[in-house]
Amino acid sequence: MRLFRNAQGKARWLLVITWLYVLWSLAPVLLAVRISFNAGKSRSSFQPLSWKWYWGDPDRSVLHDPALQHAMVNSLKLAALTMLVTVPLGTAMAIGLHRWRGKMSTASNTLMLFPIITPEVVFGVALFMVFTQVYTNVPMGFPAQLLGHITFTMSFVVVIIRGRLTAIGGQYEEAARDLGATRVQAVRLVLVPLLGPAIFASLMVVFATSIDDFVISSWLSTSAADETVPIKIYSAAKATATPSLNALATLMLLFTLVAVGLAGFALRAMNRRGGEDAGAAGGLASLSG
Amino acid sequence: MADTLAATPPRRRRQLFWPSFALPGVGWLLALFVLPIYAVGAVTFGGVDPVLRTPQPQWNPLHWDFSTLSDVLSRVFTGDLQNVFLRTFAFVGLALLGCCLIGYPVAYFVARKAHRSRSSLLALLVLPFWISYLMRMMAWVNLLQPDGYVNRILHFLHLQGPPHNWLNGDWPTVVIGLVYGYVPFFILPLYATLERLDGRLLEAGRDLGASAFQTFRSVTLPLSVPGLMAASVITVLPMFGDYYTNTYLSQGSPKTQMIGNQIDQYLHQSSQPRTGTALVLILMAMLSVLMVYYVYTTLKQQREALR
Amino acid sequence: MSTSRRDFLARSAQLGVLLGAGVPLLQACGSKSGSSGGKVDPIADGLKPEKGPLKLFNYADYVNPDVIKAFESKYGVKVEITTFDSDSEAITKLANGAVKVDVHHSASPATVGRLIEGKLLRKLNKTYIPNFTNVLDAFTSPSYDPGSMFTVPYTIFSTGIGYRADRIDAATVEAKGWDLLWDPKYKGQVEIIDDYREGLALAMLHKGLNDVKDLNTSDKAVLEQAGKDLASLVGLVNVKVTIDGYKDIPEGTVTVAQCWNADMLTATGYLPSGVDASVIGYWYPKDDIGVVNSDCMGVMANATNPVLAHLYLDFMLDKANAELNFQTNYYLPAVKGLDADYLISKGYVPENLRNAVLSADQQKKGVPFLTLPEATDTLWQDTWSKFTAGG
Repeated sequence: MRLFRNAQGKARWLLVITWLYVLWSLAPVLLAVRISFNAGKSRSSFQPLSWKWYWGDPDRSVLHDPALQHAMVNSLKLAALTMLVTVPLGTAMAIGLHRWRGKMSTASNTLMLFPIITPEVVFGVALFMVFTQVYTNVPMGFPAQLLGHITFTMSFVVVIIRGRLTAIGGQYEEAARDLGATRVQAVRLVLVPLLGPAIFASLMVVFATSIDDFVISSWLSTSAADETVPIKIYSAAKATATPSLNALATLMLLFTLVAVGLAGFALRAMNRRGGEDAGAAGGLASLSG
Repeated sequence: MADTLAATPPRRRRQLFWPSFALPGVGWLLALFVLPIYAVGAVTFGGVDPVLRTPQPQWNPLHWDFSTLSDVLSRVFTGDLQNVFLRTFAFVGLALLGCCLIGYPVAYFVARKAHRSRSSLLALLVLPFWISYLMRMMAWVNLLQPDGYVNRILHFLHLQGPPHNWLNGDWPTVVIGLVYGYVPFFILPLYATLERLDGRLLEAGRDLGASAFQTFRSVTLPLSVPGLMAASVITVLPMFGDYYTNTYLSQGSPKTQMIGNQIDQYLHQSSQPRTGTALVLILMAMLSVLMVYYVYTTLKQQREALR
Repeated sequence: MSTSRRDFLARSAQLGVLLGAGVPLLQACGSKSGSSGGKVDPIADGLKPEKGPLKLFNYADYVNPDVIKAFESKYGVKVEITTFDSDSEAITKLANGAVKVDVHHSASPATVGRLIEGKLLRKLNKTYIPNFTNVLDAFTSPSYDPGSMFTVPYTIFSTGIGYRADRIDAATVEAKGWDLLWDPKYKGQVEIIDDYREGLALAMLHKGLNDVKDLNTSDKAVLEQAGKDLASLVGLVNVKVTIDGYKDIPEGTVTVAQCWNADMLTATGYLPSGVDASVIGYWYPKDDIGVVNSDCMGVMANATNPVLAHLYLDFMLDKANAELNFQTNYYLPAVKGLDADYLISKGYVPENLRNAVLSADQQKKGVPFLTLPEATDTLWQDTWSKFTAGG
């Protein structure tokens, strides 16, 4: 137990495990990114660097393969539209659930938590059934995928925004009401600006979640026309795929990381109390002015 | 909207103010979450067109026909589907064990021991969260090719002679793949709990003469149980429904099929949609305890946060 | 408490009413079927083609885009293609109305029966299809659609074994036949087709058929035996269940694969550079008794362009168009004049893959998968599921 006795000082073996884990978790992805720059067709070893699979190859690069391009456009469109619908819906729901007291509120709140933990295959099958049996006027493919993505990302927004609402408490709104604002004004001029960074973070989180989704998109897809990048990666996994698949995945990774980076930035800004007070002060100032 | 509000007496209007924010979202979830789940039941307990074999859902619970479900249940408990359920439990169990063995030390170190490097380590722990799951699996497929780096490294270390095809339906490949895929989801909730542990309790343990190991076993570990539970639930639930990891990493070998694969097969490739949906219901029923546990603890936390 | 108990009860009652009203509404939506409003009787003679757009339902990349363009310019219409991935997916979507098209481009014999019985297909008026005379003799009145009342064949294909001719010599393949797939020598390098009919039929053929009718059997004992034989593949050769033979054989990751003949022709396009097509081989039983299926075209009962749809079927049976389609998908069109000699002389097919073009005898003796009664179909699927679940 020599190692444990060391724990107060330097837990060396913990340090080693942690860094090994970090290496293990990220190295394969870095290798996959590196392979996307291969000059040759190999997806198992490094070859000289090139942009061949991004735009160099006249047939199979991401820029020139219509199927890959189509998948990318689909994914981006889906993520962008999902984000634009889910976040307002989820934000309003979070505000409502936070303030609304009573049995119905508890029930709604409980309901809201279930989509987070429902296994995706269950979610996918359920949506597949409802779109083929009930909402038959919603075409399978992109429209159904969009509705599905909005549904499974909404609860994330509610959770993020609620966390923030708990942190800010009610005092700013009360101050606004004391200054004579109506409740709608208090929400619009004080609460929403205070939630700004959280809303922004939600936008990014939803974007990143939607863009990475495979199961729901795949259950609601009917043909090659509504393939997204994860579906493409899944179906073209076999040995014959070229590094253009890695290039495609790398590009999507870039989009996601930019989105997440921005979200992290927003959350960090939000955690600096100065910024928050200033924002609230601005809202209150506009009320009194 | 303004008109209807004006027409309502003020007290009722006040009562409806906050609910009106929540209702669009609640309505959405009723229409696109609750009803779909109900539809899974309606299909399972309904009929099927004898010629086209399309489901004819039965929406009225009074007319539900439970024969498909009981057939499938008997196949799961004593028949040909038993294998696949046992295998799924074994894979998920082993993968969870792997997550604990890797995740606990890592979460513990970052939360309690890493001081200067904490924020950068945390960022590195969160990173895999945001890398597409399938891209991470694809990375493994790249590595595990017969001429890939895993074989080359093993060969270099003289651990292995001729190259081994890892993507051939070996269960360790799938279990390790699951651990790789889900361990980031395990670490973060655990980290959150460990980080909040009261350091004074640990000091008290040390002051009372306990060794570091004793303190860990009788103070730290019991205190991290809620975090371990949350982390386990949040990783185990999606793993039970997983069907793409094993397909992706064992390329269609029957030896690694999980429940999700059977669901996929019955709904996509057969004319027995009801068997597929019955499997979904059975899966949900098995997981309901875990799901309710998660919801219960989350609601409790919410209430405590508000207090 | 701001909400009184009575208030709460009243509100839940209202909600109950809403839900109650919703159920019949849902039933109304749910019972909507693709077959409703369709006509099964053939169209009248001598009608003018509609203005389109003509909607086709097909596998992806299964028809030559140039042929589509030619049809568009010939009739001055637009053609729209909706794609599907599997036969059962196609019939499900047509049946529940998720997809509304004029032409089902590729229905297998196993679903043609269901499409007809479910009144999804319209009887053909052959006066619009003069090229029907081009159809191969063996397919003018196929068992799944006697008299070709509802369908005309688009392509035909056999199920056999694709193998690496550089690793196994042809004599060994000929001697071993289906046993090749059960040979532990190729452990880890064996694939079979991911389809319950193909898989179980393979096991039956391997065991030796008492009667070709067994390939559509409802005999539980035969099926159980087939399931067991398939399961033995797991231990013997660590079999994979995919439809990727067309990529895996040329790449060399797989040595023997149950596959369709067209897969091995397609495979020639997937060879790594510098590897010759002679490494690919295709085997089909010498007695010519095996599985031969077709992808069939039919006009939907609810087609909005039925005349145009007939003209499209005719267009596909034109020999020149059929030849163009073959160059795209390597599936043999069911049209006279495109035999092995011709295709080899044109350079579309390498000599060593002559066997991957169906001979007249193979066409005649081959057995298609027919529509099975529901209970039998269930038995087949459950037997298969037991195998894919790991035995």
